[in-house]
Amino acid sequence: MPSHALTIAGRVIRQLIRDRRTMVLIILVPLVMMGLIGASFPDESVLDYIAPAMIATLALFFSFLLTGISFLRERSQGTLERLMASPVTRLDVVVGYLFGFFLFALAQTSIIIFFTIYVLGANFMGELWQIFIFQTVIIAGAVTLGIFTSTFARNEFQMVQFIPLIITPQIFMAGILWPVEQMPEYLQWLSKIMPLTYGVEGLRDIMLAGANLLDVGFELAVLIGFTIVTSILAATVLRRGAS
Amino acid sequence: MAQEKSARPAVEVDNASFNYREIKAVDRLSLQVPRGISFGLLGPNGAGKTTLIKLLVGLLKPKSGSIRILGEATSRKTAHLIGYMPQLHSLYSELSAMQNVDFFARIYGLSDKKERGQKVEDVLRLVEMWPRRKDSVMNLSGGMRQRVSLACALVHRPPLLLLDEPTVGLDPELRVTFWDYFTRLTGEGATLIISSHTMDDAAHCDSLVFMRAGTVIAGGTPDELKQATAKPEATLEDAFLYFIHLGDKQHA
Repeated sequence: MPSHALTIAGRVIRQLIRDRRTMVLIILVPLVMMGLIGASFPDESVLDYIAPAMIATLALFFSFLLTGISFLRERSQGTLERLMASPVTRLDVVVGYLFGFFLFALAQTSIIIFFTIYVLGANFMGELWQIFIFQTVIIAGAVTLGIFTSTFARNEFQMVQFIPLIITPQIFMAGILWPVEQMPEYLQWLSKIMPLTYGVEGLRDIMLAGANLLDVGFELAVLIGFTIVTSILAATVLRRGAS
Repeated sequence: MAQEKSARPAVEVDNASFNYREIKAVDRLSLQVPRGISFGLLGPNGAGKTTLIKLLVGLLKPKSGSIRILGEATSRKTAHLIGYMPQLHSLYSELSAMQNVDFFARIYGLSDKKERGQKVEDVLRLVEMWPRRKDSVMNLSGGMRQRVSLACALVHRPPLLLLDEPTVGLDPELRVTFWDYFTRLTGEGATLIISSHTMDDAAHCDSLVFMRAGTVIAGGTPDELKQATAKPEATLEDAFLYFIHLGDKQHA
């Protein structure tokens, strides 16, 4: 464990807790979104099929957005420069952010899962704790992707442009709305490099077919690999714009 | 070996250069800063002061030449020897003044809670922010943020302080207060390198260099620089202009 990562994680958590409005939005926005999505489904069977995909997608979307914007602020307000001049390593910063945001992303994902299951009434077969473990891996990848992507944005406007570029194609190509096999072959290849494809596939297997974590080992391994690769990439390019 | 290191100047820059693409920000610059003094980097905007400070702090690596801090080549190992105050306030606006200072104290290795608490309190009292310690940074005035930013740089009691335009935007009263802190710190043995473009700051420095286009055009104590103009009533501003004209003549 990088030695200063926990200090940075603690600071990230303290910062968010003191920002009450953001805290309220973190809880409220997924509830409103899931409520609207749930109410729009014509019948239960469609909800059951879509629910795992929505849970995976919203976790990816919110975690990516929250981390990306926060990290961009770290850069634009000059605190990243100050950190880079201190004894902390780049890995400290990435792991610290990962831990810090993980807590909030996990809280958000818990709200989404419980709301989908207990309020909207989506049926599921797998075990709840296994759904959570799988979700945490999706979140970890989204947080490191958010840090990495924020390196290429100079302001919030630019960061917001990355959402249609990075998140939207995944929604359309990850097999949420129609099977991946029905898309043109080159898009099927593209879907294979998208983490959401594995997130949706794995979560559907757990929630709809009652699979366990070993059964979705391949999807889990791909998502862990994605997190490791984006962590390394984020740490490598971290100094961009910090000096 | 340790004795040899402690006898060396606080900062040694030898023929260092750095450029942002085609722009030469620091151009074959050499200087030495003795320990325990306040040393000014004076010059107009774009003279290379901030780039030089970033080279000293290790945020940038020189394209050529070498830099030594307290006898050691700049690296992550020298980071704890330096207190760095960037030009921006560079604080976490949601956190309180005390939480900001405490965070940087931890980052710089003050792991003992009691010791850290005492040092955070000491430094916040020094910059007269103890009564406002619980206020969020976003609710503080510009001058107060400058003071908290300075406290973050000072909290681990580094032997070398690199302060990038620390007095910019301060009212005259606060500027005097800042110079009181700086004098106290050099009195305690710290070395301060302060960049500025105001001659008021220059007059407070024990020693300084005038910079222009990434190079040092003159150096010495404020009195030495004024005397070089050979005018009895010369100000530091006159001295700066004198050295600029001298340089232009030599180039012509």
